[in-house]
Amino acid sequence: MLLFAPIDFINQLLLKFFSAGTINYVIWPFIQVGLVVTIVAGWVAYATYLERKISAFMQARLGPMRVGPWGLLQPIADGIKLLTKEDFIPEKADRWIFFFAPYIAVAAAFITFAVIPFGPDWAVITDINIGLLFVLAVSSVGVLALILAGWSSNSKYSLLGALRSSAQMISYEVAMGLSLVGALMFARTLSLSGVVSAQQDDSVWFFVYQPLGFLIFLVSGIAENNRAPFDLPEAESELVAGFHTEYSGFRWSLFFMAEYAAMVIVSAVAVTVYLGGWYFPFVYRYTEANGYHNLYVIVSLIVFVSKLLAILYLYFWLRWTLPRFRYDQLMDIGWKWLIPSALINIVISALAIFVVQALNGWHGIKSIDALSPGLNLTPIGKAVMIVMGLAGLGLTGLLLARINWRSRDFNLKSQRRNIRLVNVPRGKPAVAPVAGEG
Amino acid sequence: MPLVKIPKPKFLVKLRRFFMADLLQGLRLTLKYNIGAITDKDAVAGKGIYTEQYPKVRPDVAPRFHGAPRLNMDPETHDTLCIACNLCAIACPEDCIDVLAMDVEIIVAGKPRKKKVLDEFIFDTSRCMFCALCQEACPTSCLELTQDFELATYSRAGFVWNREMLEQGRETVKYTR
Repeated sequence: MLLFAPIDFINQLLLKFFSAGTINYVIWPFIQVGLVVTIVAGWVAYATYLERKISAFMQARLGPMRVGPWGLLQPIADGIKLLTKEDFIPEKADRWIFFFAPYIAVAAAFITFAVIPFGPDWAVITDINIGLLFVLAVSSVGVLALILAGWSSNSKYSLLGALRSSAQMISYEVAMGLSLVGALMFARTLSLSGVVSAQQDDSVWFFVYQPLGFLIFLVSGIAENNRAPFDLPEAESELVAGFHTEYSGFRWSLFFMAEYAAMVIVSAVAVTVYLGGWYFPFVYRYTEANGYHNLYVIVSLIVFVSKLLAILYLYFWLRWTLPRFRYDQLMDIGWKWLIPSALINIVISALAIFVVQALNGWHGIKSIDALSPGLNLTPIGKAVMIVMGLAGLGLTGLLLARINWRSRDFNLKSQRRNIRLVNVPRGKPAVAPVAGEG
Repeated sequence: MPLVKIPKPKFLVKLRRFFMADLLQGLRLTLKYNIGAITDKDAVAGKGIYTEQYPKVRPDVAPRFHGAPRLNMDPETHDTLCIACNLCAIACPEDCIDVLAMDVEIIVAGKPRKKKVLDEFIFDTSRCMFCALCQEACPTSCLELTQDFELATYSRAGFVWNREMLEQGRETVKYTR
């Protein structure tokens, strides 16, 4: 392959100066990390462009058109503007925390890219066996940055925004983590590359087995990133700009960067766990099996990126379709719908696996191929899984709709009237004040 | 006693809520607009993108649009068509036209006669409401409201057009980018 000759050439050149261990564990990772950080930073810049364009198209507008052809240089103009803007720190702000909060946000967002499998072989920076835990743990550090930013700004809007976002992110983190458990039962590993190879061995994407889990993960992922319709922390009409009200210039752009990078991470995890990651049918057969190893990696990368872009388009799509939720509705969805359904999903997945294992060998039915890395099923087993998954989705929806029916008509005013004591005249407090007080 | 009465949802409404039909409908609508904008096909009616890129692409105004006034000239001799009859000034409901005429001595059939010709024509576009009654009144179709719509100036005095401006047109900076 002529295209990949430079890579081999660089490898040969490096071998003259360093040992093979140094090259494999120090130099190549550095190159990978540099590439990923550069690409993600570029993505963040162009995601703003993409978002503005898509929102414009959805509203029959044109979007940015004046800077460069089709406004393609707009992100660069924005970047220059942000960098040359005054970096203002309020007088009463807690200077050091105010100074460091954006860096924590960006670091938390970017560190997670270390474990995302962008493709097979050299397209993954590191494959640690607790990959998914690592992603969940590090991405929740982002909440800390928001709280610090909101607190140190010493402004009521910032503080309220930070409180809202931290409450929201913590409550949706639960549903997000629980929804992944079902998929992990099929993958039988926490390593993200392992999850992808489990789907490759099974030649099925896990969202087929786990429709409920996939839906929960998508919704809670959007809420986790504070994106519309869950962008309560940045509700312009109420909180100005939420936790970054007092930020300007470069530090503000860092928060923006963290938000878009976090979006990529959640979509990457969704793609890896539920949409098969870099696995696509027939790619292996026509490339790797014929000896074109690097082509295999490149095609897999393209597959991964296109799946990622599809999920990211969903983000933009939902953002420009749905209005913002009220705060009580947000908590309602999180605690009354997503967390119970995530728990039900775990039970149903376990039940499905139990059924498939029990079926195996009963009346000569064979449902499990092998248990080696993941759970390899025969067509019968797959059919059972899919039926169970869809049935679980419907049953959970019905059950929760039955339980939560009243909460749809939630009306604070009527509740307050009901709480009021019957014979107390209007205008008097419902509970009589304690004598001698005040 | 609830302050707001909420009607009990019917079964069909419940079904729509359960399958989130409204959400899907909304998503379909935005997707339709998005695809329409990319392919420049009609999403609901008309064209895909409604934005005009004004200085770059100049809009087509409607045929009945009335804009900047103009005094037409004879295409061959380049003399003004105006006969200083003052009908336009009389027709104007806003009183924004002043026709200043002067007498010129000419010889008709060997005898000296006086002829009334146009000296100066003042048109105050700041008071004009573009009703085009002056255009209707003009017997020689000299005064005409054209389709030119860029009438903004930097000063109040700039709105008052004299004969030269009316005949030659006002100089404006044309932005093309």
